[in-house]
Amino acid sequence: MGLLSACNGILDGIYDEPDNENNTGFENEGEIFIDATSYTQWVYIDFSERSTVTLGYDEDAPQNWDIAVHRYDVKTNGAKVVETNYSDFDQAITATIDEADLVSDIWTTNQIVIDMSTMMDGYLGYTESSYNPELSKWLNVDTSTMPPIYTPSGKVYIVYLPDGTRAGVKLLNFMNDMQVKGYMTIQYMYPFNH
Amino acid sequence: MGAYGQKTLTEEQLDSIENQWNKVLDEVVVTGTRTPKLVTNSPILTRVISSSDIRKSDATNISDLLQTELPGIEFSYSMNQQVSLNMQGFGGNSVLFLVDGERLAGETLDNVDYDRLNLNNAGKIEIVKGAASSLYGSNAVGGVVNIISREVSEPWTLNINGRYGKHNSQRYGAVFSVNKWKINSSTSAQFTSIDSYNMKNEGDYSTYYGNKTWNINERLTIKPINALKIIARAGYFFRERNSQVSTHDRYRDFSGGLRGVYEFSPGTNLELSYSFDQYDKSDYILLTRKDVRDYSNVQNIGKVVFNHTFGGNYILTVGGDVMRDYLMSYQFTANGSHHQITADGFAQIDMTFNKLNVIAGGRYDYFSESDMKHFSSRVNMMYNLDRFKIRGSYAGGFRAPTLKEMYMNFDMASIFMIYGNPDLKPEVSNNFQLSGEYTNGLLNANLGAFCNLVENRMTTVWNQALGGMEYSNIGRVNIVGIDANVAWRTQWGLGTRLSYVFTHEHVKKGEPYTSSTRPHTATLRVDYSHQWKNYGLMVALSGRALSNVTVDEFTSLTSYEETERVKYPGYTMWKLNVTNSIWRGIDLIVTVDNLFNYVPKYNYSSTPSTTGISFNVGLSMNIDSMCKRK
Repeated sequence: MGLLSACNGILDGIYDEPDNENNTGFENEGEIFIDATSYTQWVYIDFSERSTVTLGYDEDAPQNWDIAVHRYDVKTNGAKVVETNYSDFDQAITATIDEADLVSDIWTTNQIVIDMSTMMDGYLGYTESSYNPELSKWLNVDTSTMPPIYTPSGKVYIVYLPDGTRAGVKLLNFMNDMQVKGYMTIQYMYPFNH
Repeated sequence: MGAYGQKTLTEEQLDSIENQWNKVLDEVVVTGTRTPKLVTNSPILTRVISSSDIRKSDATNISDLLQTELPGIEFSYSMNQQVSLNMQGFGGNSVLFLVDGERLAGETLDNVDYDRLNLNNAGKIEIVKGAASSLYGSNAVGGVVNIISREVSEPWTLNINGRYGKHNSQRYGAVFSVNKWKINSSTSAQFTSIDSYNMKNEGDYSTYYGNKTWNINERLTIKPINALKIIARAGYFFRERNSQVSTHDRYRDFSGGLRGVYEFSPGTNLELSYSFDQYDKSDYILLTRKDVRDYSNVQNIGKVVFNHTFGGNYILTVGGDVMRDYLMSYQFTANGSHHQITADGFAQIDMTFNKLNVIAGGRYDYFSESDMKHFSSRVNMMYNLDRFKIRGSYAGGFRAPTLKEMYMNFDMASIFMIYGNPDLKPEVSNNFQLSGEYTNGLLNANLGAFCNLVENRMTTVWNQALGGMEYSNIGRVNIVGIDANVAWRTQWGLGTRLSYVFTHEHVKKGEPYTSSTRPHTATLRVDYSHQWKNYGLMVALSGRALSNVTVDEFTSLTSYEETERVKYPGYTMWKLNVTNSIWRGIDLIVTVDNLFNYVPKYNYSSTPSTTGISFNVGLSMNIDSMCKRK
């Protein structure tokens, strides 16, 4: 057995084991881990209920939800969002926000990619959707080179929900331990008050 | 360069230039035949990059050195700045790289990790162009490059060196060797690093990925009795590449080996060896500080070689290898693994009849996973007319499908799948060479022509039924060319070497020319060295010139009907190296890379990743020379 394991390599112990493959949802306090790897699905997040639900892009949204994530794209359920200059929740919570800086969703026809398979033929498949450009700044993806260059903003975003409450959101990671992109770890605080 | 642990010239080493030149021609090479032979008397044309050449190039890694010294070799980038070799029309998986005769585990996009081949303790490098599968088996299709470690005979040596240059590039090395009783120990360590930097102009990539490497090796030779030599070795390699803000790519290698050579009589010996090599890739995610491995190639190899010299002019070489090849990869289904056993037997006879030297050999290889069997053969002849030598050869080469090519199941960023193919046939090449060599005093020149007929090349092809790319055998490729080389040295310290290679990949009339091999490449080096009483000077100017190449590229991944013509520009690149031997064993080295400030207007993956001229300063200290009494 020892001989066989040497044939398959030595010093396994210097590496970390991937262990966050299946623990999606509101597992850790103040964190959400979701599988948003699919190009054809949205992951809907409800902060007050601490719940997530994954639905196809062509399916109706659930009754209650606050934000939804598709790969790195984000849309909101009628909310407005602002990017703060802070990476820390304790500082962001004290930030003075100018209402004029709040950004609502926009309607897009060339943002939400549902089919990558035609890329090498020079075009992509999109679906029409609402899209929040402010919250989607949480990760910049530069596709001018292959592979793309991923740059997280590291900033805290404040989501002003239609019911008057606020949520603080920050993207901690955009991949799982095996480096599969689209597994999103989101730090959140709700309600986002002093 | 002194920065590689080479010795500074001492008076006793300062033989006459002619003697030095004779040493070059009398260099003993082993790669072509697996037995020691003078390079000038080997029917298998072998180019040697000597320790002196390595010193003059001031190169850190093998890619820099080979491009400086040899035409027809180009290192460029494939996707994601992974280094990719083209050697006279053959890619990285068709050129076999060896370290002291041992093959290397692991690959990325069909190329071994060239950063493992550091020059800190390299004694010389032997390059055999053309196929050599009758001795080395799979992958020796287009050539063999063998890096041979330096052997030291002094009681002890210690070299410490450092180099600093543009983009905060740093190189520090140390080599310590000791000869005591019947034990020879050589320990070497090297660290290199360079920052990421932005390219000056637009291109296929905008930022060069910074990186750092560690290379640590130990080799212990014990001679318990005169007839028996036992060599134990161990090595560790680490490379980290700053490819993304959030993740760094990590590459590690653990190697070890034990070799015993018993000499029955001069020219008759038996060699038994075991070799272990494990090459791992992992991703270090800075956001979570996790280092997760997603690739591991482990090779365990046992080898036996018997050489027997008889009748004065005949050398028989027989041997065999058994290898267990294990591969775990993120490119397999569910990050799974596969393994296989390969086994081979080979025989070679080296015969000298007066002025004619003939080598004939064959090798039979077996691969368990594909149940593939393959026979390779070779015949080399050299006719020796004193100053003139004529060499002619046929050599067979092949490349067996790898575990990756058989079992890949990889989702390429949701754009397409890449599938392996267990039914692949081996890639086979038939290599023919004819060359003439002329040596007169301090002049050495050779001119040769080569022809490679390659069948069943393995590559990925769009498969409509699968809806993805699949590894497949494609048709025949014929590569022909000319190889020319002139070296000349004067009595008073000036030397020059000019080399040129023409390579042409033949395609049928009307078919697209998809080869990116540059047709014309040349290298030139002019050097001068002189030793005064208390000061030594060595100046070397090295340059390489690569012609442009026009390639027909398919416009679609899924259809091979339309092509567009793309022209990749040629360029020249020059390097000036000035080594000042300022005091006992201390060298101060100044190197100017990209001397004429070449800045690509557009950064193709095949243009050098340079931002212009760069100055480097190095210091090398041979502590043992400093300690010696004058």
